[in-house]
Amino acid sequence: MDRRSFLTAAGATVSVSFAGCAGLGGSDESSTEASSTDESTATGTSTGDAGDVEETLVVGTYSAFVDSPSTSPGAWVKQRFEEEFDARLIWQTPSNEVNHYIERRNAGVDIEADMYLGLNTDHLVRIDENLDDGLFAGVGDVAGQDDIKPGLQFDPDGRAIPYDTGYISLVFDGTETTAPETFDGLLAEEHAGDLITQNPSSSATGRAFLLHTVKQFGPDGYLDYWSDLQENDVRVLGSWSDAYSAWSGGEAPMVVSYSTDQVFADQNDANLEEHQIRFLNDQGYANPEGMAVFDGADTPDLAREFMSFLLRPEIQGEIAVRNVQFPATESADLPEDYAELAQEPPEPVTFGYDELKGSVSGWISDWERQFASN
Amino acid sequence: MARDSDGGADGGGGGSTGTANSPSRERGRTVRNTIERRAIVGLAVATIALLLGIFYYPVATVFIDSVLVDGRLTGRVFVSILRDPFYLGEPARLLAGEPVGAVIESVLSSDRRLGVIGFTAYQAALSTVTSVALGLPAAYLLARFEFPGRRTLRSLTILPFVLPSIMVGVGFVATFGRNGTLNAVLGALGLGQVNLLFTLEAVVIAHAFYNAPLVARVTTAAWESVDASAVETARSLGASPVRAFRDVVAPQLYPSVLMGAALTFVFTFSTFPIVLALGGFQLATVEVFVYRLIRDLEYAEAAALALIELGISLGLLYAYLRYEAKHTVRSRGIRPLPRRPLTPPSFSVRELLPRLGLAVYAVVALAVFVAPIASMVLASLSGPEGLTLANYQFLIDRQTTGAAFQVQPWDAVRNSLLFGVASLAVALPMGVVVAVLTTRDYRGRKLVDAVAMAPLAVSGIVVGLGLLRGLVFGVEVGDTRLAVGGGLAIVAAHAVAGYPFVVRTVAPGLEGVDHTLVESARALGAPRARALLDIELPLVWPAVIAGAAFAFAISIGEFSATIVLASGTNQFTMPIAIERFIGRRLGPATAMGVVLLVVTSASFLLIDRLGGDDVGF
Repeated sequence: MDRRSFLTAAGATVSVSFAGCAGLGGSDESSTEASSTDESTATGTSTGDAGDVEETLVVGTYSAFVDSPSTSPGAWVKQRFEEEFDARLIWQTPSNEVNHYIERRNAGVDIEADMYLGLNTDHLVRIDENLDDGLFAGVGDVAGQDDIKPGLQFDPDGRAIPYDTGYISLVFDGTETTAPETFDGLLAEEHAGDLITQNPSSSATGRAFLLHTVKQFGPDGYLDYWSDLQENDVRVLGSWSDAYSAWSGGEAPMVVSYSTDQVFADQNDANLEEHQIRFLNDQGYANPEGMAVFDGADTPDLAREFMSFLLRPEIQGEIAVRNVQFPATESADLPEDYAELAQEPPEPVTFGYDELKGSVSGWISDWERQFASN
Repeated sequence: MARDSDGGADGGGGGSTGTANSPSRERGRTVRNTIERRAIVGLAVATIALLLGIFYYPVATVFIDSVLVDGRLTGRVFVSILRDPFYLGEPARLLAGEPVGAVIESVLSSDRRLGVIGFTAYQAALSTVTSVALGLPAAYLLARFEFPGRRTLRSLTILPFVLPSIMVGVGFVATFGRNGTLNAVLGALGLGQVNLLFTLEAVVIAHAFYNAPLVARVTTAAWESVDASAVETARSLGASPVRAFRDVVAPQLYPSVLMGAALTFVFTFSTFPIVLALGGFQLATVEVFVYRLIRDLEYAEAAALALIELGISLGLLYAYLRYEAKHTVRSRGIRPLPRRPLTPPSFSVRELLPRLGLAVYAVVALAVFVAPIASMVLASLSGPEGLTLANYQFLIDRQTTGAAFQVQPWDAVRNSLLFGVASLAVALPMGVVVAVLTTRDYRGRKLVDAVAMAPLAVSGIVVGLGLLRGLVFGVEVGDTRLAVGGGLAIVAAHAVAGYPFVVRTVAPGLEGVDHTLVESARALGAPRARALLDIELPLVWPAVIAGAAFAFAISIGEFSATIVLASGTNQFTMPIAIERFIGRRLGPATAMGVVLLVVTSASFLLIDRLGGDDVGF
């Protein structure tokens, strides 16, 4: 094509294609709205005619809470809540989880959710380090808060309240090895190449294990411990599922995972001998999960009602079973056999918000620099 | 020149020569001519606008963070990365002001530090060499031998390309792990055990699993378009078969082999999940750090690192494109080389030796390509008590009883196919148009070509974040916010990721087309678009089909942008379903993986059948 006819034609078509783009943008926005309405009506039909007077609560959460291949509490919670409150509950599971809302707030775009379920201490630190105005409102008056186990409250500013907790521990195959009792035991020659853990910057379990070593050896000593661990051939893989599937495949007899592992093993009729739990130094790193109401939520009161609903004994017990975590409250109704399989550490440890703020990213980045240095 | 004048003459002439009895038909033709004449330009402008809107602008919103810190323009983020031995290894000391001699000395010493960037390039180079070594024999087999199932095998070579890394990880652990198939076979043969997992070797082999098929596919296409008469001429002039290959065939293959190699390097340079799943964090690549910095919202450093990554990849692509421009062999390619039967016609050394080599290769290919896929299929059929269909039952249950906010298998299949076809419909014309634009003669066109290839080299997480900010959040225009959410944005993202493959498969072919054919057509009054459709594209049809298959494959396999852009479960694709179905048991995820395998295999067979009889040009 010669340049002249290109330019003339280009001039003629530019305006057309701009108009086309604008049309695309506009029509698609409305189609997005349409599809989200579809979804709400589709999910709302179980509670009868949607959209008249009943309120809608949009809850952001991580996808495993509503959509895990084994069990997840999402569908049950929605059904129970809608039955009782004559309200509609919509689960929202953005792939970036909390970052999605931070991004939206940063870009000045409306946050369409009323609250978030699944916050941990790191998230709060990340939010506070990146958003001047914060993201969440104060918790305010939520019934049932007093039942929460004392050690689990992780937000000094009173925005997030815990609804469950997990403990990170070693899971080992008892037919292959016996896990050591202490951190130092992991350095023994007989455990060379025995442990698989996860990348602390992208995996909750990997991060908890790293933080546990910081807790144990202090910010000045954990890197030395890791250097010894690396000498002893520890494997740090990308995600929990990378690590767990390598462990299941027999690549190594020990993996960093949750102390509730036997609950799953039992569900699948696996040999429990191959799913043993070890709390190093009799400690388990606690990872409480919390919930908070977005600043500027459409239905903050309903959100708070939902929060106290979640703290009720029978709901706490059911969430614990379905999410395979421990309840956050002391009053939870748990089935008897749950305690046999899900193990609580003699001494739960964790870092609070104040200890993590300003330190956690430095600890991780120093660790990365030491571990991956080529 | 005819093409200068046809713009004016055609439009006016068409109308005035119209006969009285069919004015409307004449007008119709005039309109059609006008459309055809403008088609290329229109498509070019639309392509550029689309690229700006759904790639360059969104990605720029992320990259800008690297130079704009707290509202001030700065280069210090780059400088601090480039001076950091952790990232750049020994060369970083140059920027710190150390003498060149000392730095060179330490680079050459055995205990040198490669740095993350250096290491990433090193593993990418190893992965590239391995991929080429594993890809070329496959191309040789597919292009030069005839055997039952050859076409099917050729169609399926693209399959590894679409497999989510999660599935490849599962397959590799089952194949190359301590208790894997490989060790079982070695044990049965009385040989020792190998421990491949968590090593650089495992990562390199997995990268070859992904990229050797790419090398094989592009090389096969080139080999099939070598003109038999040129080889016959060489032979009749007394050249030995080896000599004829070296002097006639090989030069026509180099550009494709190098293109396969360049693309492999670019892909493995920005790799991330495979490294962490099969190697471990001690082998972390640049992309691992880009990903982690973005997750922690440390955008300045993340963007700078991603830009450095992009710079290296684009530099390499540019170098390849310069080479390609110099080494395109103009060939009419009327008659492809005849294929030989795979069963030897006689038992001479000349007939047996290549087949023996292929037999050895088949064993390697079985281990690297077939075993991991077979392991995946087996995993989907396994439960605690042996063989079971329970994992497929899970898919059916999820489909029938799952809630609306849960991922459902059939919806994922349907969405994948829908997005695949839609993005193919966008990527194919885009790719052809860019291929046409980059095969015209003008200064700096290789630069334009490289810029058009940028979507291949931009870090996936940066594209995802950019699209989130640029499209999903949209731009405020007056009082309304223009946002492109959901399906349309996904199609756009897939099309942008896929069209470079169309360009790279079609452009060398177009360059090789005899220009006198096009010029004759233009002289006879055919508009540019008509000449392209009627003359050039039919001549390079196999390349167009190959590009289409790639574009479709990219769409099926794409994960990071889709998950960011999908605004609900009704837009989730098969790879996302696989990711969601991962739990303590891998069964449900592997079952979904097998669904992906079956659906995409069928699609590729179908796409390749559209190529018509496989006779080269």
